[in-house]
Amino acid sequence: LAQIFPPWWNKLPIVAAIAGSLGPLLVIAGVWYYFSPWYTDVGYRPVQPVPYSHKLHVGELGLDCRYCHASVEVSAVANIPPTRTCMNCHALVKKDSEPLAPIRESAQSGRPMRWIRVHKLPDYAYFTHVSHVSAGIGCVTCHGRIDEMETVTQMAPLRMSWCLDCHRNPGPNRRPVSEVTNMKWTPPRDVQALAAQLRPVNPPTDCSGCHR
Amino acid sequence: VSRTYWRSLAQIEDRPEFRAAREREFLEEGPSELPDGMTRRDMMMLLGASLSLAGVTGCIRRPVEEIVPFVTAPEDTLPGIPRSYATTMPFRRSAYGLIVESHEGRPTKVEGNPSHPATLGASSSLVQASVLGLYDPDRSQSITLKGARKSWSEFVTAWGELAKAHVSDGGAGLAIVSESFSSPTLARLAAELRTRYPRVQWATYDAVSDENRLAGLRSATGRDVDLMLRLDRAAVILALDADPLLTDPEMIRHTRGFAAGRRAGASGGTPSTGSGQAMNRLYAVEGVYSLTGAMADHRLRLQSGQIAPFLAALAARLGAATGGVASPAGGGVAGVDPRWIDGLAKDLLANRGAGLIVAGERQPAAVHAAVCALNTHLGNTGKTVSYYETKDASLPSVSSLVSLVSAMKAGTVQTLVVLGGNPVFDAPVDLDFAAAMAKVPHTIALGHTVDETSAKAEWHIPRAHYLESWGDARAVGGTLSVVQPLILPLFDGRSPVEVLGLMAGDKDRPGYDIVRETWKPILGEGEVDTKWNRVLHDGFLAGSELPEVAPNVTAPPSAELSRSLAEASAKAGASGSPGDLEIVFLPSPSLHDGRFANDGWLQELPDPLTKLTWDNPALVSPKTAETLGLASEQVIRVEYAGRSIELPVWILPGMADGVVALTVGYGRSHAGRIGSGVGFDTFTIRRSTAPGFDRGVKLTKAGRSYPLSATQDHGSMEGRPLVRESTVTELRATPEEKEKEKEGKAPGALGVYEEEPHHFSLWKPHVYDQGHQWGMTIDLNACIGCNACMTACQSENNVPVVGKIQVAKGREMHWIRVDRYFSGEPTGNPEVAVQPVPCMHCEDAPCEQVCPVAATVHDAQGLNVMVYNRCIGTRYCSNNCPYKVRRFNFFNFTKDTPDILKLAMNPDVTVRARGVMEKCTYCTQRINRGKIDAKLAGRAVRDGDVKTACQQACPASAIEFGDLRDPSSRVVKAKADPRNYALLEELNTKPRTTYLAKVRNPNPDLKGVPT
Repeated sequence: LAQIFPPWWNKLPIVAAIAGSLGPLLVIAGVWYYFSPWYTDVGYRPVQPVPYSHKLHVGELGLDCRYCHASVEVSAVANIPPTRTCMNCHALVKKDSEPLAPIRESAQSGRPMRWIRVHKLPDYAYFTHVSHVSAGIGCVTCHGRIDEMETVTQMAPLRMSWCLDCHRNPGPNRRPVSEVTNMKWTPPRDVQALAAQLRPVNPPTDCSGCHR
Repeated sequence: VSRTYWRSLAQIEDRPEFRAAREREFLEEGPSELPDGMTRRDMMMLLGASLSLAGVTGCIRRPVEEIVPFVTAPEDTLPGIPRSYATTMPFRRSAYGLIVESHEGRPTKVEGNPSHPATLGASSSLVQASVLGLYDPDRSQSITLKGARKSWSEFVTAWGELAKAHVSDGGAGLAIVSESFSSPTLARLAAELRTRYPRVQWATYDAVSDENRLAGLRSATGRDVDLMLRLDRAAVILALDADPLLTDPEMIRHTRGFAAGRRAGASGGTPSTGSGQAMNRLYAVEGVYSLTGAMADHRLRLQSGQIAPFLAALAARLGAATGGVASPAGGGVAGVDPRWIDGLAKDLLANRGAGLIVAGERQPAAVHAAVCALNTHLGNTGKTVSYYETKDASLPSVSSLVSLVSAMKAGTVQTLVVLGGNPVFDAPVDLDFAAAMAKVPHTIALGHTVDETSAKAEWHIPRAHYLESWGDARAVGGTLSVVQPLILPLFDGRSPVEVLGLMAGDKDRPGYDIVRETWKPILGEGEVDTKWNRVLHDGFLAGSELPEVAPNVTAPPSAELSRSLAEASAKAGASGSPGDLEIVFLPSPSLHDGRFANDGWLQELPDPLTKLTWDNPALVSPKTAETLGLASEQVIRVEYAGRSIELPVWILPGMADGVVALTVGYGRSHAGRIGSGVGFDTFTIRRSTAPGFDRGVKLTKAGRSYPLSATQDHGSMEGRPLVRESTVTELRATPEEKEKEKEGKAPGALGVYEEEPHHFSLWKPHVYDQGHQWGMTIDLNACIGCNACMTACQSENNVPVVGKIQVAKGREMHWIRVDRYFSGEPTGNPEVAVQPVPCMHCEDAPCEQVCPVAATVHDAQGLNVMVYNRCIGTRYCSNNCPYKVRRFNFFNFTKDTPDILKLAMNPDVTVRARGVMEKCTYCTQRINRGKIDAKLAGRAVRDGDVKTACQQACPASAIEFGDLRDPSSRVVKAKADPRNYALLEELNTKPRTTYLAKVRNPNPDLKGVPT
């Protein structure tokens, strides 16, 4: 009679024990990562109707963020610029550029551009740009090095725990309000001196801070 | 005073339906399927299918979302920053000055304009709900000719041809029906129209009309005047079948004034130590329980037809006491204790110059004339009531409609223009307006929807909403106010100004130009643009009120009254024996004359007295019901003057016996998806000769019943002492007297808690000593229960409408409700107390302790926060809430919301989904906005920076809200009032919302006088 169970079957309990303990852990870890914004959202880089390059406009030409996103200092919303803002320059510069055709089209016809949203918070989270800008949180802190991006990419997970990390300890992310749009700003050596010149903030960590 | 409060007759009789309501907050087991929607099984199948689909695309990013910026951004519009504009809502001959909030170009929230005399910063439920009318999905979307879509220019051409024909005969065949208005531009255009067509026939008709008052004032003073009440200056107010606090168009002003007079001396100080002013005293004599009657210190039940004799008896006493004319009508009124009239007369005489008599709109002209004469006699004119000429106005007149209809029937009218209003629905039934209209070859009707009139008209023109149109109006007292659009007409609607402008000048001109032309002479020479911009900014022209007119009262009160009495008795003799019932027609507090029928917020707003939603049953007193063998919800047949109507009956305690009251405005057939077929059309028995009240009605049982949805038993707190009240004298009792009360075990001033309750908590107390600590007080002495707060909350917080059937199951979603309690003999003259109940924001909140997922938690500012995205819908919190203020989304009530209605939503507040609990947040979005604005301005949050929606809307200023850690804040001062108490304090929930007890101010002379 042949052996039904060959000898290596003896290792089965050990293998099963290891797999049984690691497997669920792997599943949990997988879900933890792959279902989270770290995987689903970070790196999101949709193709826009016009391949607007922040790298060129901000990084090389040195436009300030607020030239286009003008409402960031006063409103909850950092606006996407109207077609008019593009045409301020492009009525004269690169008048016949092929990629800019949709912009000219929009300016002429009056039909708005339809940009693809990159940074999106859930509808029940009410983020306010103006509070953050006035508290000295740099654009780069949440949006990354926009000045190096050919196409805008989501750099931060924008998940609640990520928000809360900073709300619980905003110090390391703060800078003088005048440096908010500076992409290359680095904190000074003397962090304490910096902290002294910033106005004290008390960011909310309660639900009601952001959810209404 | 220790009293027993009850909410409904069902509670007193301990009927099973009340017990059910007490035991279950939501009256039906299980959630929960919409009657003709998807069943649970279908849902699971679909859910399974969508889950498997989700497996394919799941865990990938949410759907792609687009951002669509402007092409050329308007200069002053920044996304995310709401802007406010001043405008005016014309309503009959009133004008409400408003500040309207606009988000990215769409008006979302209406507030009163603090500097405008008609609103004084407050609003009413009608004003609050008007924004929903703008986004009514059933508004007509096009000009139509016999139902076919046409353009405005086609109408202009068609009108040109009609005009040609009418110019030749001086307008003999042209007729116009309009609502009453008070507007310089409309008045100017109407005058121009009359010059162009001298023989035009113009009828001004309001279904709910103040014609009688105007006629009475005309006969008393000999001039066309209207009156302006100053309730804040009145110490003694007598309301005769009148409802100045709710259904009167000037209710906002009146309530503000009344509450101010109510607050005086309410905190228990003696008059000499306080401001010197004593609390006002309100007497109400009425047949139907009105909100004014509910606020009265003394209320006498008297049929509307008995008001004239009552007034005669009162006038005799007032005159006799001063040695004036002899009594024309003897000293008494049937069924009224003469001591009551004596006491009232004494009080009025003692307060000469500070008294006020008001008569209701449905009372005959003679009563109004007599009231005017009496007010003058008592020296009240110029103090508590002032008169001004009705300028730029078209005054309502039933007789003008009567003569127009006979001309229409005679075939002499070629073209009829209905310039707003809905006469086919609301004109007196004996005129048969629809049949008369059918005889007119050309009919043109302006309407928000294709309403009953527009449906029968040849041309229908969509009417622009006031938030879409240019116009102007004279507010009470004559203040010139400007109607400024916040948005272009959504459906190419036209305003009455534009239509009348076309007719008067044969030129199609924009409303702006027409209004500017009117205002040029008003603003005077020089810097017209600057002055005009000032007017647009303010919403009204400062200093434009009309001068007060000192009326030259021609007849002494007794002469007026004897005439009125003769009229009244002639009427009574003409139409039925005295044993008959009296029929009374009431304007609806929600729908008014039916014009707001398609407004879901108003349909679902519980009536202040009956607490009924979505219906208009006939109201009778318990005794009358007993005599006739009626019970609530039974269908009765009302036979009156050869016509009849079948509708359910509702027993309302406190009604005068022998009165059946019908509310108008319901039963519309062409209102739209919300209002069509809701309720019963009582206009079908209302006649031109008796639009207010009449005798000779017969009730018979129809042998069926009809379910009604009342919220009066919802949210019951098991009969525990919730409302507290006292009287002025008790509050002023000296400490020794209070000590005696305690020893004698007699209930103290506030009735319930004599000794300090000993609280003991199992929970570690929260410490709230940092930052802002928000709190609220609601002054039950000021609150009149008008529901403005409910609608304001609904508008601010995107609260859904659930419909009649869901209301019957206790599933209404209002975050703040207004409880109404009766106390006293149900078959007699019970008194009313009202109590708004929002979330109490308990510091030790019972809801938080039972939530398994921490979806309701406390924040550092003391707010009890509801986190929608955590909620899994166990409803444990609601079970454990002693105040029953939590609301559960049994359905996805907003799922089928038409796109246009979404424009009315507040973008700063989450729209909740099915299966989620929700409740009052203390307007956390407003708190956040106030804090951010203060921070950006570089200052601390000041008291008054944050106003909740209910607080801002409240015409009585009954709600205070603010930071409890700011000792100078109004809310802290209010909480220091001795009347302050917490609801269900013994539960030790430490609510942040507390109440100030109600104070009554009874006349000691009337103690024990039966009413």
